[in-house]
Amino acid sequence: MKKILVADDEMSIRLLYSEELKEEGYEVYQAANGREALDIVDKIPLDLVILDIKMPEMDGIEALRQIKEKRPDLPVILSTAYGEYKQDFATWASDEYLVKSSDLEDLKAVVKRYLKE
Amino acid sequence: MASERAAFLTQMVEVLTSTVSFGERLSNMVHLLARNLKVDLALYFGLDKARETLLLNVSSQGPVPPHLRLEFPLGQGLVGETARTRKFTVVHRRQPGVSAANASLEKLHPAYQTLAGFPVADDNFLYGVLILVDRTERSLTSAERQGVQLTCLMLAAALRQAIVQEEAKKRIAELSVLFEVGKALSSTVELDELLERIVSTTAKVITARGAALHIFNAATGEVRVSSRYGQIPPESPALPQITPSGAATEPPYYEGESTDTAGHTHYCLAVPLIFKGQLTGTLGVYDKFNPNGEYLPFDPENRQLLFTMAGVIVNAIENALTYQQVEDLAEKNERMVRNLTALQEISQVMLTSVQEARLQEIILQGLTQESGLGFDRAVVLMVDEATQTLRGAQGAGCSHVTHDLPNLQALQVPPPEMIPVLDWEIPLRVDQGPLALAVLRKSPYHHHQTVKEPGLPPALAGKYAAQEFFVVPLVVKDRTTGVILVDNQASGRPLEPERLDALQMFATQAALVLENAHLYSTIETNNRELLLIRERMLESDRLAALSSLASGMAHEIRNPLVSIGGFARRIAKLVEPNSPLRGYVEVIQEEVTRLEKLLREILDFTGENLSYYGDHELAKLIEDTLILVQRDLDANKIKVAREFAQLPRLHCDDRQMKQVFYSLFQNAIQAMHHGGTLTIRTFPVERPDGLYAAAAISDTGSGIPMEVLHNIFNPFFSTKDYGTGLGLAIAQRIISRHYGQIEVNNEIGKGVTFIVTLPVAKYCLVKDAGQGAVPASVLKVPKGGR
Repeated sequence: MKKILVADDEMSIRLLYSEELKEEGYEVYQAANGREALDIVDKIPLDLVILDIKMPEMDGIEALRQIKEKRPDLPVILSTAYGEYKQDFATWASDEYLVKSSDLEDLKAVVKRYLKE
Repeated sequence: MASERAAFLTQMVEVLTSTVSFGERLSNMVHLLARNLKVDLALYFGLDKARETLLLNVSSQGPVPPHLRLEFPLGQGLVGETARTRKFTVVHRRQPGVSAANASLEKLHPAYQTLAGFPVADDNFLYGVLILVDRTERSLTSAERQGVQLTCLMLAAALRQAIVQEEAKKRIAELSVLFEVGKALSSTVELDELLERIVSTTAKVITARGAALHIFNAATGEVRVSSRYGQIPPESPALPQITPSGAATEPPYYEGESTDTAGHTHYCLAVPLIFKGQLTGTLGVYDKFNPNGEYLPFDPENRQLLFTMAGVIVNAIENALTYQQVEDLAEKNERMVRNLTALQEISQVMLTSVQEARLQEIILQGLTQESGLGFDRAVVLMVDEATQTLRGAQGAGCSHVTHDLPNLQALQVPPPEMIPVLDWEIPLRVDQGPLALAVLRKSPYHHHQTVKEPGLPPALAGKYAAQEFFVVPLVVKDRTTGVILVDNQASGRPLEPERLDALQMFATQAALVLENAHLYSTIETNNRELLLIRERMLESDRLAALSSLASGMAHEIRNPLVSIGGFARRIAKLVEPNSPLRGYVEVIQEEVTRLEKLLREILDFTGENLSYYGDHELAKLIEDTLILVQRDLDANKIKVAREFAQLPRLHCDDRQMKQVFYSLFQNAIQAMHHGGTLTIRTFPVERPDGLYAAAAISDTGSGIPMEVLHNIFNPFFSTKDYGTGLGLAIAQRIISRHYGQIEVNNEIGKGVTFIVTLPVAKYCLVKDAGQGAVPASVLKVPKGGR
């Protein structure tokens, strides 16, 4: 079973993503900020990371940088309420940049693309 | 006997002291002597001024006709002998030698036998000789002799008195003449008036019919000024040639006579005017006349008087000439000052405006107003750099002549009429006539009828015509910005060459103020643009503030919306298809979708994707970025070589493009930390889909190891020498977003060249055409260019 980490400071979002992704047959881990996300990346052999950008303690951009340093091969999808971070060079290291929507079909399609055998 | 003698002497005294003229007295006396002594003839010979010759003056027989005016040199004949010895002498014809020595006396008395000579002398001076002639051979009694001798003494006294009187009279006459002349000379310093007075006074004091004065030009010898008075006979020389006279003691003079058709003899006397040893002119008199109106020759006294007068007047004339020269100079100065004042006034007026059109108007007024340069017509033409033509800007002038009006009316002269010149267009080529030539040669031009150079260009045919005109270029900093064209066509007054000088001075001023106005208007335009930009920026700042508020709120809303909507969808999946809950959940879902759509629109509008696209020059972007890395370049002793081609502008986000070059420069600097050369080359690249501008950035480092070359554009990839991790990845993304490419040429041991190729802004081609940029269509791709 593929392992996905959902990092978002909003509990409701984490819950929604987890429910939906579990339904798709993935094993989902959760983190409330960048630091927690890095801990899990270190511990668990993850297959994909979904990162929110605006998070307390460590934001998603710094987390992205460190994750790409540790595991350049690990696909990272930025999922944020903000469209303008696309302009930030730092976000270009991510594999995908998605603006959050209540319709999760896009997100699930991208995840599926990265995780298909 | 004694009473006889007394009576004789009494008669003599009476005669000699009578009030009649001296000549008459002398004549009476001689007559009386002859009668009383009962001799045939009594003659008086006067000694001439040179004291060498004795001349028959008076005879007891009446007036001496010219052919009988006998002369005896001193010591010759009885006349000469008596004068020489100053002693009474009697000779008889029969005595040896007497007849021969006195032969000429036979003309007066062919049968004379006795000649008696008495000297007429006082103690120290001999005046003449009295000769008594008789046909008988006789002697004189001592009483007779004494009587005659006494008479001779009295005669001598009378003569002396007469001479003194004559001298005094002459002296008085001369003095009064000099007084007259002096009066005339001191009355004026005006040359013309002075000369007039000199000639009229000269004629009057000499009692001549006419007089003439000529002053020569010292350098050329030509007559500089002359003045005439009275009648000058046409036969007389207009300008008497002064030749040295025979006598060495006298200065040269001219004396001449001519006979007119009626047989009248005319006389002329002229003396030189000598100032400081140099011949400066002549003073001449014509036709002396006596009270009866008869013409007389001039005598030595007249000559002497003329000499004296010449000496006096020459100084006055020189003074007057000098005065006139000074006045001429003063007038010339005044004219120049007037010109300069006018110029200064005009330039002051010109400084009051910075508007080109208004300035041209002022310039035209300065050129055409009487208080200015006073030309009839004036036109200002300006050079159009873009089309390389000379175009009419403004023209003004009068078709009617106002210049001869009196001042009062001149004040009411209507303002100059505007001449339509906007359609004047002359190509700037040497074959296009004087206006184009004035621009190309930067030199003024004076066209007049005798000039055979090409006239006005065909472009002006039917629009402008003038027999004579001036063209002066408006030159600023060695660049011709236009020309001024002026003429006096309406009044027909000639254009004096010195007016061209004034016009050129004027043009220098005009060119400067016009250039200033031009610069000012450029600054004004730039200011206006800046103001506009600033306004736009303020506007966008306001929008940005608004949008930042809006987007902040929108983002806060988006997260809960995602949760609400997301969970509503989940609920919808769980609800039975027929359950009434399904409808409720669908309402939630739809409303959330609607809100999310609204949010997207708001965020789009508030500039979620703010970019700063504009038209930029590639070279400028590169230069601006170089400034940022200058310190690093210096620290690593890296030289920069530039080879920039002229390229159209790029439509790009300048901040992002600078980010690209910054990364590339940083890479290059890190590859050359032991020094080297950073070469930056820009060039055009033509491709089937359009024109591209390329920049090649080369270092002289060691190159990129082959094993890592394929990784350099990957994010976070870095080697020891190259890469700041994201640098090249970011550069690549920026460039691809601009629809460009980045390539790398790697030569191990020699260095790396990154080539950035970007499309040029298509609409810039039109916009840039006239501003020095090269239109894309004419750019040729150099061989080997990429």
